[in-house]
Amino acid sequence: MLPIYRTVLSALAVFAMLTASAFAAQAKPEAAPAAPSASKKVSTADHHKFKELQKNFRTGPEVTAACLICHTEAAKQVQHTKHWTWESTDPKTGQKRGKKNIINNYCTNPTSNEKDCMACHAGYGWKDSSFDFKVEKNVDCLVCHDTTGTYRKLPGDAGHPVYKRTEFPKGSGKIVEAVDLRKVAQSIGKPGRTNCGACHFFGGGANGAKHGDLSSSLQHPSRYLDVHMDEKGLNFSCATCHSTSSHQVSGSRYNISAAVKGAPHIRGKADDSPAACQSCHGNKPHPQRMARLNQHTDKIACQTCHIPEFARDDIGTERSWDWSTATTMGPDGKPMVRKDSAGRRAFDSKKGTWVWESYVIPEYRWFNGQSRFQVIGDKIDPTKVVKINEVGGGPNDPESRIWPTNVHRGKQPYDKVNLTLTLQHTGGEDDTALWHNYDWQKAIKAGMKAGGLPYSGEYGFVETEQTWPITHMVAPKDDALRCEQCHSKNGRLKDIQGVYLPSRDGNKVLDTLGWTLALLTLIGVLVHGGIRILTAKKEG
Amino acid sequence: MTVEKIYVFKRFERFWHWSQALLIIFMMITGFEVHGSYELFGFGKAVSLHTVAAWSLISLWVFAIFWHFTTGEWKQYIPTREKVFAMIGFYSVGIFRGAPHPFRPTTLKKHNPLQRLAYLGVLLFIGPLLWFTGWFYLFFGDWKAWGVDSYLSLEWVAFFHTAGAFMMLAFFIAHVYLTTTGHTPTSHIKAMITGWEEVD
Amino acid sequence: MLKVIGGFVAGVVVVGVLAYSLMSSLMFREVPSPFGVEETVARIQQNIQNVGNGWALSGLRNPGKAVEAAGGNTLPVMMIEACSTKYSAPILQDDDVRFLSILMPCKVSVYKKNDGKTYIGLMNAGLMGKMFGPKVGEIMGHVAEDQAKFIQFDASKPAPEMIKGTPGATGGGSGASAAGGC
Repeated sequence: MLPIYRTVLSALAVFAMLTASAFAAQAKPEAAPAAPSASKKVSTADHHKFKELQKNFRTGPEVTAACLICHTEAAKQVQHTKHWTWESTDPKTGQKRGKKNIINNYCTNPTSNEKDCMACHAGYGWKDSSFDFKVEKNVDCLVCHDTTGTYRKLPGDAGHPVYKRTEFPKGSGKIVEAVDLRKVAQSIGKPGRTNCGACHFFGGGANGAKHGDLSSSLQHPSRYLDVHMDEKGLNFSCATCHSTSSHQVSGSRYNISAAVKGAPHIRGKADDSPAACQSCHGNKPHPQRMARLNQHTDKIACQTCHIPEFARDDIGTERSWDWSTATTMGPDGKPMVRKDSAGRRAFDSKKGTWVWESYVIPEYRWFNGQSRFQVIGDKIDPTKVVKINEVGGGPNDPESRIWPTNVHRGKQPYDKVNLTLTLQHTGGEDDTALWHNYDWQKAIKAGMKAGGLPYSGEYGFVETEQTWPITHMVAPKDDALRCEQCHSKNGRLKDIQGVYLPSRDGNKVLDTLGWTLALLTLIGVLVHGGIRILTAKKEG
Repeated sequence: MTVEKIYVFKRFERFWHWSQALLIIFMMITGFEVHGSYELFGFGKAVSLHTVAAWSLISLWVFAIFWHFTTGEWKQYIPTREKVFAMIGFYSVGIFRGAPHPFRPTTLKKHNPLQRLAYLGVLLFIGPLLWFTGWFYLFFGDWKAWGVDSYLSLEWVAFFHTAGAFMMLAFFIAHVYLTTTGHTPTSHIKAMITGWEEVD
Repeated sequence: MLKVIGGFVAGVVVVGVLAYSLMSSLMFREVPSPFGVEETVARIQQNIQNVGNGWALSGLRNPGKAVEAAGGNTLPVMMIEACSTKYSAPILQDDDVRFLSILMPCKVSVYKKNDGKTYIGLMNAGLMGKMFGPKVGEIMGHVAEDQAKFIQFDASKPAPEMIKGTPGATGGGSGASAAGGC
């Protein structure tokens, strides 16, 4: 009896296992495609079906021409944006900024290096100053609207995508496939993280290098890193906050809304600052039991407490870029590349020395949203650290808040006689390119000539500093700074002036007098009591 | 010497005194932490506790003021010049010689002349200074709405609040000591607990 | 007599309080590092590999990642695990002190604090060892000497690469994954 029972039992068990695994095998392929197909159905148009797109495009401009058949105003709209002009005007001072005009603390300026830099221009063919900004078919629709993730633009092609299978970087053995423009054109959609990230995650020439609060870690972020973009949670795309109208993307760093007031904004209404925290949260975002925190909002930006550190990943961000060591060769006299302990670029004979850090504690500054930028041709004082940009505002400015900032330091070449930062021709295969010939003198001459700037022939290196407000990588609320991280003698805000910070501040004279008074009183009563005890004993 | 007992402190008065004492001690502990003198509860917690204690003390005071005026006990704090110098003499000399206390408390006059002066100072100067500055400190976020933001600065509000706290601390130390100067070292304290004071 | 006993009790209490408050600083040490977190880790790892006496890396752990996986934030913490069979074997072979395997492998912690600086946390192996008899005391004394060499940096040398993960770890059943180091 017993053996039969056992046999039946084990047979049943085997059967159960088989059916279970069969179900599991069935379940998998069904579940997988559900998410993408659902998101595709959002659009009322299937671009695969448009006959305008059913041809083998040879170039990017051909695709744009096809897009413009239906989207007649799209190129005109894009041509009014910073993504196209690389220029922005300060509404108050009239200063012309934008990538075209400023000198930043990383690759400095694109002038004479357009072929490389324009890999991140939303257009085709900006290879030198002769570029015609009015040609509509040169607008690159695909770089923002591709949903396949296969559309790639490489340095050297002046903004054109990869038309031919290419080895990149040269000599690396890595192959970049040619873009299937027909497929990409048929699969367009709303811009996602991949589109924005292709440029904004990699600014400064390496993942996470430039911003510190933007890197490829935001492609699939988990909750700890960004509570809004958390892939398993709210799953915001960039455009959820950077709401866009007529191709104008809101929330530019050039004109920050540093002190947004009032209640949450209503979507659809005209809005000056749709990308600010307050746009959704208002400026009294904490519940009543935390009302005291709401009182902080007229002095402190939301970001200060809610982004306790930036670059909170292993990718990290660049803390400094020292150009003065560029052209230094390795021991064998050949160009050299060195990495840091975490595998990030640390030295390159082409570009100089970098220092990286992960989980960076911000430096805090008063900021009113207005920055003054160092633009091409501005005079500098080489005896001081040159401020690549200066954040405006101060404690007595009602439009200013204390902001967390990423202060990026470095050294850049400058003209010792004319006292300007220089432009240098870096990228390219020609004789004057720094990265080809390792000759500063030639590179600066070529760069200055392309930019139409006088050059004395004498260059040196000057210390520079760039201050950018931090606003991405918002942590979950439980990880906001705690009170005592600022309200203490050596807290996060220990260098912030112009505001009385309880626990950090106090009047030293009053403290000395007060404690002396208390101490003297104590000594007085102790002596008095002591004498009483002594005299009582004598009498006793 | 026969020991006599008289009833000086009524039930409410004793409740008021001890709850007030606890609250003030607690507010000094939390307050000096907020000021940054040491770390104990953590800044945020210290602020919350200090605020809760402040509201409790305000409620207590509303009752106490009401009680003092309805019972007429407020007169206990009217200063008098009578025996002031006798008291000073007693504390500086007589007490060491075992001289008799120059003041004999009664239900109608429960505080000696120096006590009257000291308590009046606490009630009319240190107290209001702390209340007034504390109120503005607490409602810092509403200054703009009240239209006072251009007249006040947190730095000075905090300065005077802290100054008041130091005076309160000094008063507290002296006060605790002087409770031992009764008929016996504990007779004043006993009186504040039971209501009955032993006198010579 | 009462005074004598009272004085004695008071003395004991004072010593007890003192010992209690000093305990953590006696058992553990914290030293600031002149380098960033990753470079400190890499340099310590290199030192461990160069110090001899059978020392080998047995892993690099990042407890902060578990916090992040749970949705929370923490400043970076890296735990370098190292082991020397020369020192571990006599302890592991002795039934009386085999429980000290709880202290293995030898750990050096590298972390960042809110001042933005990097710190190194170490166990005071020498003192700890003295509590378990002369044999363990002697072994741990050697461990302490080597440990001091782990954190001697030569800034003139370039930063080495950080060695991630547990060397030799293969995953799988119990025991199989514990192949690294000791």
